[in-house]
Amino acid sequence: MVKSFLNKQQNNNLLWYRELLLVLIRRSLKRRYRGSFLGIYWSLLNPLAMTGLYAAIFGPEFAEYYDNSNLNYILAAFTGLVVINFFSASTAMALSSVVENGAMVNKIRLPLAIFPLAAIGANVFQLLLGTLPLLVIVTLAISHSLINTIALFLPLTGLILVCTGVGLLMSGLYVFFRDLPYFYELLIFVLFMSSPIFYPPDIVPVTVRQFLILNPILPIIESIRQIALSGNLPDLMLITHSLASGLILITIGLMVFYLLRSQFMDLL
Amino acid sequence: MVIDNIDLTINCGEKVGIIGANGSGKSTMLKLISGILQPTTGTVRVKGAIAPLIELGAGFDTELTVIDNIILYGVMLGYSQLEMRSRAKDILEFAELETYASIPVKGLSSGMTARLGFAIATDVTPNILILDEVLSVGDISFKNKCSQRMKDFWQDDVTILLVSHSMDMICENCHKVIWMEQGRIKMIGQTQDVINQYLECVDPTGMSSSLPQVNQ
Repeated sequence: MVKSFLNKQQNNNLLWYRELLLVLIRRSLKRRYRGSFLGIYWSLLNPLAMTGLYAAIFGPEFAEYYDNSNLNYILAAFTGLVVINFFSASTAMALSSVVENGAMVNKIRLPLAIFPLAAIGANVFQLLLGTLPLLVIVTLAISHSLINTIALFLPLTGLILVCTGVGLLMSGLYVFFRDLPYFYELLIFVLFMSSPIFYPPDIVPVTVRQFLILNPILPIIESIRQIALSGNLPDLMLITHSLASGLILITIGLMVFYLLRSQFMDLL
Repeated sequence: MVIDNIDLTINCGEKVGIIGANGSGKSTMLKLISGILQPTTGTVRVKGAIAPLIELGAGFDTELTVIDNIILYGVMLGYSQLEMRSRAKDILEFAELETYASIPVKGLSSGMTARLGFAIATDVTPNILILDEVLSVGDISFKNKCSQRMKDFWQDDVTILLVSHSMDMICENCHKVIWMEQGRIKMIGQTQDVINQYLECVDPTGMSSSLPQVNQ
C-alpha cells in the first residue's frame, strides 16, 4: 500500500478526482464530436427519428391503448426511447472504458473508477443538452405544473444511478471476461424488448409480466411517463421505486468494482 | 513473482540510478513506488508528492490538440485545469511548439511528442521524480535543454529515480546505483563501483573499456 495520504491530501484527492472527471468528460465529448456537424443533437435526433418510425408502423394499432390518441403513443414511445438510449449508450461506453485505458493506467497512477464515471458523465451532459430540454417542454405543456417539471429530475437521478452502477459493474467484469461486450449487446436487446417502450404494457402476457420486475429501468420509464405525460401530480411511489432501483444498482456496482479492483492491474 | 525480497530505503534528495537487464524488474519496481501497482505482500511508503508516471506521453490522447493534451496530462499528474491553463504558454515555449498549439498530437513527430511530454512533466517540480528511459528524447539542442532543466532539479532536494541503459547518463547524474537482476537487488552502492561490477558481469571480455566513463 502506498501511504502518502494525510488528511489534507485526502481532501486534495477529492478535488483531483473532480478535475480528472471533468477533463475526461471533455475529452470524450471532444473526441466523439470532432468534425461532426450536428454533434450533440444526434442524441435528440436519434430517438425522434425512431419515434417517427414506431408511430408510422405501430401507431395505428396501439393508439387504442393510449386513449385513441396517436400523440399519446408518440410521446410514450419517445420518453421510453430517451431512457433506453441513455441506458445503452452510457453503459456500453462505460463497459469498455477501463480496458480501453489499460495501457495508460499502467504508466500513470489514476483512480480506475474514474473511467466508467467519466463515460456516464459524458452521456449525462448529452442528455442535459440534447433531449432534456424537449422533455421539459413536453412536461410543461401537458402538466402546466412546475412541480412536475422539477420532479422529472428525480427519476432521471434514478436513471443516472442505475447506469453508473451497471457501468461500474460491467467495466470491472470486462477486465476478466473479454466476451462481455457480445453478451451485453444481447442483454441490452432483452432489456429493450422487456421494457414497454414502443408497445403498451397491457399487451404483455400475465405470466411474463411478473418477471418484468427484474428490469431496473422499468420503474424509471413508468415514473417519467407518469410525471411528464399523465397531467397528474407526481406519483411518489413510482419516484421512490426508481430511486431505489438506482441505489440498489449503484451499491452493487461499487461493491463489485472495489472488490475486483486489486486484480485489475495484472490483466490490463 | 516479478520482483521479490526488495528491502530498500531511498532518502530525500537522493538521486538513484537503476540498472539491469531487460525484464529484471526495474520498471515494476518504479510502478510499485509510484503507486501504479500494489505489492502482493509487503509495503511501500512514500512521503511527498510523487510524479505518478513512468513514461512520458503515456497519457496523451493523440486525437486532441496539443493545448487540450497539456491540460489533460497536467490534470492526470495532479494539477488543476486552471493551473494548467496558466502554465500552458511556458510549456509550449519550452517544448518549442508555440505554433502547434491547436494541432492534434497525432500530427506531431515522435520527437515533438516526447518533447511535449518532458516539458509538461517537468514544468512543476514534484518532490519525487521517476524517470524511465526518458531523457533520450528530441534532437541535440533539445537534449541540452533537458539536461539543463534536469540539472536544476539535481541542485534542489528533489528525489530522483532514474532507469537507464546509458551508463553515461547514470554516471553523470546519480550518487547511488541499484543493480537489479531477476527481480532482486543484486547490488547497491556507489555509482562507480556498481557500474564497474555490472559491466564486468555483462561483458567479461573487457569490451566495455572502450566506454570512457568507466575508465577511471
